[in-house]
Amino acid sequence: MQEHVQLTQKQINDDLLSSVLHTPRWWWPAVIVTGIIFLTGMGAFGYMLNQGVGVTGLNRPVFWGAYMVNFVFFIGISHAGIMISAILRLTQAEWRRPVTRAAEVLTVFSLMSALMAAPLVHVGRPWRADLWVFPYDFARGIWINIRSPFIWDPSAVMTYLTASSLFVFIALIPDLAVIRDRASGYTRKFYALMAMGWRGTPRQWKLQAIAGILLSALVLPVFVSVHSIVSWDFAVQIAPEAWHSTIFAPYFIIGAIHSGVSAVATLMVIMVWVWGWDKYLKPDHLDAIGRLLIIVATTWFFFFFLEWVFALYTLEDAELAMRDLQVFQWPWSGLFILFLVTAYFIPVPMWLFKSIRRSYFWMFVTTILVNIGMWLERFLIIVPGTMRRGEFIFDWGSYHPSIIEILMVIMTFAWVVLGMLVFTKLFPLIPLFDIKEGMVGRDEIRIGRRIVPASIRE
Amino acid sequence: MNNGAHNGHGALMTPKAVEDDLLDKGRLRGSTFRIAVIVFAVLSVLGVVGFVIRLADGFGNTPVWGYHAALFAFILTAAQGAPMVAIAPRIANAHWRRSISRVAELFSLVGIVSFVIYIPVAWALPSMEDGRRTLWFYGELNMPAHMPEITTTLVLLALTVNGLWLLWVSAMPDFAMLRDRSTGKKKVWFSRLARGWVGTSGQWNWQKHRLGILGAFYFMMLVTAHFAFSLDFGMSLVPGWIDALYPATHAHNSLQAGVAITLITMYVLYRFGGYKDYINLDQFWGLGKLLFSLSLLWFWFWFSSFIIFWFGAKPSEEAVLDLLFVGPYLPIFFIVFTFAFLVPLWAMIWNPLRKSVWGPVTIACGVLIATLFDRIRVYVAAFSVSESTNKHLMVEIPGAVLPDVADVLIWVGGISACILIYMLGTRIIPPINIWEQKEVLLYRIHKPFHRTEVQVLGKPE
Repeated sequence: MQEHVQLTQKQINDDLLSSVLHTPRWWWPAVIVTGIIFLTGMGAFGYMLNQGVGVTGLNRPVFWGAYMVNFVFFIGISHAGIMISAILRLTQAEWRRPVTRAAEVLTVFSLMSALMAAPLVHVGRPWRADLWVFPYDFARGIWINIRSPFIWDPSAVMTYLTASSLFVFIALIPDLAVIRDRASGYTRKFYALMAMGWRGTPRQWKLQAIAGILLSALVLPVFVSVHSIVSWDFAVQIAPEAWHSTIFAPYFIIGAIHSGVSAVATLMVIMVWVWGWDKYLKPDHLDAIGRLLIIVATTWFFFFFLEWVFALYTLEDAELAMRDLQVFQWPWSGLFILFLVTAYFIPVPMWLFKSIRRSYFWMFVTTILVNIGMWLERFLIIVPGTMRRGEFIFDWGSYHPSIIEILMVIMTFAWVVLGMLVFTKLFPLIPLFDIKEGMVGRDEIRIGRRIVPASIRE
Repeated sequence: MNNGAHNGHGALMTPKAVEDDLLDKGRLRGSTFRIAVIVFAVLSVLGVVGFVIRLADGFGNTPVWGYHAALFAFILTAAQGAPMVAIAPRIANAHWRRSISRVAELFSLVGIVSFVIYIPVAWALPSMEDGRRTLWFYGELNMPAHMPEITTTLVLLALTVNGLWLLWVSAMPDFAMLRDRSTGKKKVWFSRLARGWVGTSGQWNWQKHRLGILGAFYFMMLVTAHFAFSLDFGMSLVPGWIDALYPATHAHNSLQAGVAITLITMYVLYRFGGYKDYINLDQFWGLGKLLFSLSLLWFWFWFSSFIIFWFGAKPSEEAVLDLLFVGPYLPIFFIVFTFAFLVPLWAMIWNPLRKSVWGPVTIACGVLIATLFDRIRVYVAAFSVSESTNKHLMVEIPGAVLPDVADVLIWVGGISACILIYMLGTRIIPPINIWEQKEVLLYRIHKPFHRTEVQVLGKPE
């Protein structure tokens, strides 16, 4: 971090509260457009409820399609918040400060989208989803099957959503007090209620810091368990051969981190372009996130390699046939190449160049590519996996998402964008107190003719 | 004397004082050191005796080489994983690593012993002609029948050479200091090792880049070595053992055991080597936290594999679970599970223990014991089923193989040889990195801050 601009507390408040205290001209059109897309998706959902899941492209043998792909994808994106916020907080990485809030909020809305994609939409009859959790019949004591991954899934995701929301809220409290002190009327009452009497006393700061660290430490196992459990939805089954692999949990998690951190980088660039926060989100931050992404992406690729090597190692016909389908049969072969190229072979070599890592434009392009690739990765795991012509499968159908599914997939993306837009109107997307703390803790040391950035340690 | 590293307080030493102190400590070794060297040399000879006894069984009798293979796997896992403790924090620019990076890098020397121990294991591995499942598609592609031995040998050689190269590049500025203070033959030797180092900006830049590149390559080689060895010398010998995660688990175990062995070595230097001014609570705390997180990851890696086999419940998978977890090696697995995960989890969540010198070291001893037993569990079991007739499904679970006299001698000798070469290494290379110690003095200042004094630490790009 060689670029350092010392800002006053007033400047920080003015800059970072601009999204809350002023409404830019583009904000309402953006909300209306995403709102319409979201409502259209909800309309499609209503139509599906009315007509049944027959309106989707799901059919024997492919019962898991775009909804499940979306579910896994958004669970993956949700790993951004904890990776950036909890891990970097625990390791005291200074560059995390302007990024944490956006990453945490992205986590919350992505999780909501994931919940929308699977338990709400995919099950077809969501009003019966309660039967996953509660006994079928109290009188006869018939309980749900706790050995089913479909019980683990909602439990894990709901725990993660609760923990992440708490994480966002705890970190928001000091900033809410700042807004409270600048607001009037009903707005003031709203923020006063949310700030819970924050005055910034030493005791309050201490409690807030401890809560942040404790939540970081506690949320990490949840973060690991969520995507592990999602992966076990697939891996514990033995029928689609390509899914029955021990590597799935780490492979899914590292893939999630790859796609989640990329999404955060995309979001950072958008924040700079839209709100002009380039004094806070500097090329240095993109450089740091780019270097992190090189490591994450390469680790992900290693797990991808292991998954493939061991698929071939089995020498089992069914497994080899499935791989043949993924790589050599059109259209999966085309998607497979597109997935590899966009998820790894274009972005990672580009990130090796410092000028790319420090460029807003190129980081935006490469991180978008990563997420296109990672969506395709999930698609290629799920769809060819279920459509393979295995034993006792006499329907050899393929899968094409219907317009209903496409609308609902777009709806989940629109939900995340809409949620982020509304959040920025109510709360600051860059944590004020964290930036101020960083400014106080920053220093410089002169070594010979060079000035080296430094930070204060207890 | 205090170099100011301890929690950032205390007076700062001058770079010259650090250099004098560390070079003196390296030169002056007491009689205890000499006695220890002699003891370990004698014990190493016992290992050779054990090996000669084992040779009488011949290489064709694969199951009897199980303990020898496990010894190699243990050294590969623990000692050759240790240099990562220097590499990773150096890449992350963590200042606390400076006192311990050399302690970890010196384990590269153990690679030489490890490679020598590996050679008989390669001879004992059955040829792929026995029809077992391998990655090499023997019979379908025109692969030589000894491809596993060839590739693993090359990878291990590359790992060892890479480690030694890394150690040499890292020690070059220290060799130059030793050169400037020695006379006669020693001066000639240190001059050769220092390769004309005078400390120009170009040389420092060159060294920084080489350390980065060699570190990255070491990590890749380490992962590849674990991949090759665990697959070809472990998994492929057990019919039906198809675990895509296991090579990564093996490599992860190496990082965990590498941290553990570095912690223990640090403690020995701290307690008996006179390095209390350099190794202090910061280092034990830093590594303790790392060990804690790696122990949690141990559980996650293990469970990720276990649940798939247990839930899948295919006959081949149940047989593997029987062999490795719940069958003849259950007591060993119990020890592994306890010391690699349960004890670190329940002990390290306790703040006073985690933030102490004795706490992380005690846990590290447990982790090292767990690693040792884990390697016995896996490789002794794998070698014991190598003669199974069905190569794709384990029909009968062989019983536990107990070590004989030759195995015990080989283990004692092998571990002693590793300790011996490390001790001899510290005679030539200072066990505390002098240039890194001097460098941190430039980056650290103390200054008043409101009503207190704080430490300001520089972090260059």
